[in-house]
Amino acid sequence: MRGLRWGDALVVTLAVALVGSAFGLAYTPGGGATELVVTQAGAAPRHYPLDVARTIGIDGTAGVTTIRIEPGRARCLDSPGSQGICERAGWLERPGDMAVSLPNRLVLQVQGPGAGFDSMHF
Amino acid sequence: MATDSATCDRRIAALAALAIGLQVIEAAIPSPVPGIKPGLANVITLVALLTLGWRAAVAVTLLRVVGASLLLGTLLSPGFWLSLAGALAALLMLTPLWRLYPGHISAVGLGVAAALAHTAGQFLLAWGLIIPHPQLPLLLPPLLLAALITGVLTGILTNSVLSDPRIQRHVRNPPTARTG
Repeated sequence: MRGLRWGDALVVTLAVALVGSAFGLAYTPGGGATELVVTQAGAAPRHYPLDVARTIGIDGTAGVTTIRIEPGRARCLDSPGSQGICERAGWLERPGDMAVSLPNRLVLQVQGPGAGFDSMHF
Repeated sequence: MATDSATCDRRIAALAALAIGLQVIEAAIPSPVPGIKPGLANVITLVALLTLGWRAAVAVTLLRVVGASLLLGTLLSPGFWLSLAGALAALLMLTPLWRLYPGHISAVGLGVAAALAHTAGQFLLAWGLIIPHPQLPLLLPPLLLAALITGVLTGILTNSVLSDPRIQRHVRNPPTARTG
């Protein structure tokens, strides 16, 4: 394009490198989660260490929520919710990540040494 | 000299009015992602910088931030401080770079640098004071990518504005106020 100078190429190259490295740094699997906290309405929070791979089932008012635990991460495998929201939350691996099953009135959250906020709102 | 100063003031006022108008219009456009918008008012900052000089660009930018926040009702709200932080960070980035114009850099390079600085400044304020969440940096890469894209677009727009003959007159014969 007319009017461009070498400085433009330099700035854009540096900017692309910056953006690329930002993506790389921010989205490399960080992990750090050490335990899964299952909070269910009417029950005390239950803590499961994220050490040995296993599958657990949590009984709720609408059925059974199946949770897969692996070293450093956990996820909801199956839950009674019709929209699959709990399953679609995917692997919970950063401290603070959470999955929710409304039909079973259940919140799954992984925690680590660094205390996190519950959620972000705009 | 007094006439020149008054002329410069009128140009600053006109550019600030344009920038406020652009920012208000932009605020009315719904954005799918919070924090991402075209930043068309930055075109005006760049035009002010490259035609009237650094002081004029600072004046236009501050007038724009305060004026737009008055119209949008966000004065002194978090949005206002974010806007101000971004604007000041962009000006800080432009301060050393704009001297390279037009020999070594065009408005595209300036626009990209300013947009990234704008986003970074906003982010640091947001992260440091408003939402000090340890996972907030996860939002930064897409915001920076958006800044890169919008920076290129505003830069291209600025280049085409500056190549307009009516603007070129001011670029080639800058007023004496160009001392910044």
